[in-house]
Amino acid sequence: MDKITEVQNQALEAIAAAADLDALQQARIRYLGKKGDIQALMSEMKSLPKEEKPAFGQKVNVCKQVVSEALEKRQAELQEEALAARLVEEKIDITLPGTKHTLGTMHPLFMIQQEIEDLFIGMGYKVAEGPEVELDHYNFELANIPKDHPARDMQDTFYVDPNTLLRTHTTAMQMRELEKAEGKTPIKLICPGKVYRRDDDDATHSHQFMQCEGLVVGEHITLADLKGTLEHMANTMFGNGRQIRFRPSYFPFTEPSVEVDVSCPFCNGKGCSVCKGSGWIEILGAGMVHPHVLEMNGFDSEKCTGFAFGIGLERIAMLKYGIDDIRNFYINDVRFLKNFDRFD
Amino acid sequence: MRLSYKWLSEYVDLSGITPEELAEKMTTAGLEVEGIEPMAKGSNLVIGEVMECEDIPETHLHATVTRIGPNPEDVTKIVCGAPNCRKGLKVIAALPGAELPGGTITAKPLRGYESNGMLCALYELGVDKKNLTEYQLSGIEELPADAPVGERNVFEYLGLDDTILDVSLTPNRADCSAMWNMAKEVGAILHREVRWPDYEGKADVGTPTSFKVASKTEKCPAFTGKVVNHVKVGPSPKWMVNYLHAAGMNSINNVVDISNFVMLETGQPLHYYNLAKLPAGDITVVDDRELTMTALDGEQFDIKKGDLLITTGGEATGIAGIMGGEESMIDETTEGIFIEAANFNAVSIRRTSIRLNLITEAAQRFTKGIEPLSMKKAVDRSVQLLEKYADASGFEETILCGDHSYQPVVVKETLSHCNDLLGTDFSMDQVTEALKWLDFKPEVSGDEIICHIPSYRTDIERPADIDEEVIRLIGFDSLKSTLPYMAATVGRLTPVQNTRRRIREIMRAYGLNEIVTYTLVSQDYIDNAFHPAGEAIALAMPMSDARKYIRSSLINSVLECVQYNEAHQNSDNTFFEISKVYGKDKEEERLAVAFDGVLQQDPLHKTVEKGDFYAMKGLIMNLLSRLGFNENRIQFAENTIDTDKFHPYRSAAVSLDKNLIGVFGEIHPAYAKKFDLKRVVYGEFFLDPIFAAKAARLRFTAIDRYPAVERDIALVVDRDVTAQALLSTIRRVSSKLVRKTDVFDVYEGEHIEAGKKSVALRITYQAPDHTLKEEEITSVHERILALLKEKLHAELRG
Repeated sequence: MDKITEVQNQALEAIAAAADLDALQQARIRYLGKKGDIQALMSEMKSLPKEEKPAFGQKVNVCKQVVSEALEKRQAELQEEALAARLVEEKIDITLPGTKHTLGTMHPLFMIQQEIEDLFIGMGYKVAEGPEVELDHYNFELANIPKDHPARDMQDTFYVDPNTLLRTHTTAMQMRELEKAEGKTPIKLICPGKVYRRDDDDATHSHQFMQCEGLVVGEHITLADLKGTLEHMANTMFGNGRQIRFRPSYFPFTEPSVEVDVSCPFCNGKGCSVCKGSGWIEILGAGMVHPHVLEMNGFDSEKCTGFAFGIGLERIAMLKYGIDDIRNFYINDVRFLKNFDRFD
Repeated sequence: MRLSYKWLSEYVDLSGITPEELAEKMTTAGLEVEGIEPMAKGSNLVIGEVMECEDIPETHLHATVTRIGPNPEDVTKIVCGAPNCRKGLKVIAALPGAELPGGTITAKPLRGYESNGMLCALYELGVDKKNLTEYQLSGIEELPADAPVGERNVFEYLGLDDTILDVSLTPNRADCSAMWNMAKEVGAILHREVRWPDYEGKADVGTPTSFKVASKTEKCPAFTGKVVNHVKVGPSPKWMVNYLHAAGMNSINNVVDISNFVMLETGQPLHYYNLAKLPAGDITVVDDRELTMTALDGEQFDIKKGDLLITTGGEATGIAGIMGGEESMIDETTEGIFIEAANFNAVSIRRTSIRLNLITEAAQRFTKGIEPLSMKKAVDRSVQLLEKYADASGFEETILCGDHSYQPVVVKETLSHCNDLLGTDFSMDQVTEALKWLDFKPEVSGDEIICHIPSYRTDIERPADIDEEVIRLIGFDSLKSTLPYMAATVGRLTPVQNTRRRIREIMRAYGLNEIVTYTLVSQDYIDNAFHPAGEAIALAMPMSDARKYIRSSLINSVLECVQYNEAHQNSDNTFFEISKVYGKDKEEERLAVAFDGVLQQDPLHKTVEKGDFYAMKGLIMNLLSRLGFNENRIQFAENTIDTDKFHPYRSAAVSLDKNLIGVFGEIHPAYAKKFDLKRVVYGEFFLDPIFAAKAARLRFTAIDRYPAVERDIALVVDRDVTAQALLSTIRRVSSKLVRKTDVFDVYEGEHIEAGKKSVALRITYQAPDHTLKEEEITSVHERILALLKEKLHAELRG
């Protein structure tokens, strides 16, 4: 075996034996370095006869190439091994919890309000607003509840002075909007907001609560339109398949007036604890705008009709989310609020 | 109202309809039945007679032998504890197996004595204690001597075989608090004939009278009186007592009971005076007296000017429409009476009765308004019943004072208008059928329906009222569901409503929980309002000291909420509230934000986002930026408002376009203590100027094509030199190459001279049109360093 073959074999052995990249580097220096064995063979060439030089040179070059290739190959292998080892090293416990980032919650009353707003905006309604400290004129007089009307008993009022009060219902906003419209139709709006009544706070009563009323005035608006509109609302709020039932009632500003029941979304009308076995849940009051209300606000009650409805937002939220005490909405215990971290 | 099923059936045939079915139908037609209660409850009862009664030694008990059947041998042994149990008494016996409101009766010995049942008091059978005398409540019920022993239909014998429907009447249907009118309503619902008693014209009897009746006030527009010279006062017939009990009233004597019974029938409050106590022979209604008078319940009442008062011979003898006087009340000695059926002004009666806290049956009826013909009905019916049940005679002619005219109401509606309003396609027959049952006597003329409204239906005035009657009686089941057919409208939120939603989104992204607190607050919360919207609005009649004012700021409500949560072991509370606040003639909308602890934290992964002054500042900057306000429009300044509530050196006022939009910072420790809080960061922001400010339009900014170069410098400056001073000084060099400057570290302490601090800044240089050369940057950078040194004595940290 000539010297070249010997060096080559030694180099290939060393490369194969290199257990890591450091050892391989040592082998590279030893055989392929400037002072390495293969370079040393090249230097030997000087002392060879001229005619042997080309053959010897070629042989050394082949040797160098073989060793280089082996080295590259081994290096790739070792790198792959090293990477695999590093990945193992980097193993984490994927069952640990992810980094916490708390997202805030929306108050359930405003969630309900927003749901109602969006569903009516989709039907072409605008959202009206008005003052909570309201004039008797808008809260009562224009709503067909003159002074000493027995209906004023139904909503015992926080008065500020004889003409000013905390609005007892969002109807006050309807009256402002009707007046503003100066007899022009169509009117399609909802008006959500806080309202106030002289009630002692307990599990089912609150001196402050929220309502959202709706009002549509135009030509040929019918009670059946009211039913269809509320049916759409019930289906959106409580899931498809809801039915609506009207029962006669009384509000001074509507005629006819109705209480509206929705078929119980919890038992599908079969009867359960939520609907007290009746299959129906009362959700709101509504009716056809009283002709006198239209007239007082400058509308021709011969020409146009309208419907109005009023929803208690607490009632809807309590039903929808199974809340059993109205005071929860105003105590704002974080453990209560945290429930409302998404829209239903 | 309490509606007796049995009494109702005197006027309408209720056969085949249970109280439950009736309740269901009434509710469906708008007369909501809220409860159904039998007058008495119990099974396996029998009328018995105590044959033997032996005291059980050392107890209050009696061992009886009670006969419970027609024959002498039908006896059983029952132990009874009632003091009035005695031999010969006719009793109600509950036999073993009897289901009573208190439980099931079983046969079991008591004190070694055999006992096969219970002798009952009426309250033990569920009879309302209100309807029983002290004596009845103190022992077992004593039946009349002629009570049929062995009779098992005890309730029927007692007249307690009745069911009470608790009907909630809407204010427009006060007419139904009169039994006769209720009967008409039920008839219309059931499509059954209604028979009123044959009362008409019964009072058209009497000799000429010298009695004088007058009204000196328009608040008593009509008055009907009648002298009855002879009555015989005694007990009422049992059926009448039972009906009064059923309606929730007590029995006094036959004469007083008739006045109450007729009121329940007709809705017209009546007052019967002891004629002997009206020697002046006159009744005058006045409303200009101030005096104290004793009413027939023995209580004294202060009468003021404006209160309607009944006088005779110039002296007060009754609070008109509310309660009679003690002086002229009917008792066993009464021989003659004067009947009053008057119309008193609803508002006046309402005010007086509320002021005197005297909400009597009469007052309630006047308050809701009486119908035009009820005076006549009531006097006719009074005469009829007094003759029959009080041996009344010596009638004088009826005295009418004031206006007794009655104009029947006619309302015209058309079938097409009715269907148009309801969205129905009812036929003329369907509509007139419903109206006929209501006694509206509809006359059809083409499309038109002319309705003659009965006097008691004062709620029917307009075509829409007719339409309501039609739909509620035909039933809402027939109603279709449609959507309004009208010109299309655009539904959308206003810009303010949109902005409000965006604020909520940003707050939620920060992890804040939205709260809603009460509008009404205490005096203390007003005295300590932050930058109040104005002089606070006080309620005229607050319900409590805690809810006396309409709040003029949010600070205290929100801190109270933090306090509540801290007290309930909820830590790191982060809240926001958006609400209106009020001052006299001023409404403002505000945003309150509070942090009590960290905003975000995860110990496991070692992340923490402190809830400090800077967190609040970052939040408001983010908020304003997201709402379209460039940071150049926003200024922060030392807070000079309500400095007793904010930490003097850790709070700031923020302005947008030089308008104050809020104050935020740490709550002053002294003020936080008031809410048992230690370190709490709070901000209250004024939304109206934010809503009003013009937001920048969203524009694309070209992406830089040439690289930026960052130069970091650490400067040592006096502790008082603010970051803003450093940044604005750099800005004064006004080089276009300075793209931005960020503060990335502030350090005080070791290696830094006392009273000084080190501020590390990163200046980013960039040109839009070329790659910067070293010389360009150095030139500007040197100028910046020189100016910082000159103006702020800033030295580069060695």
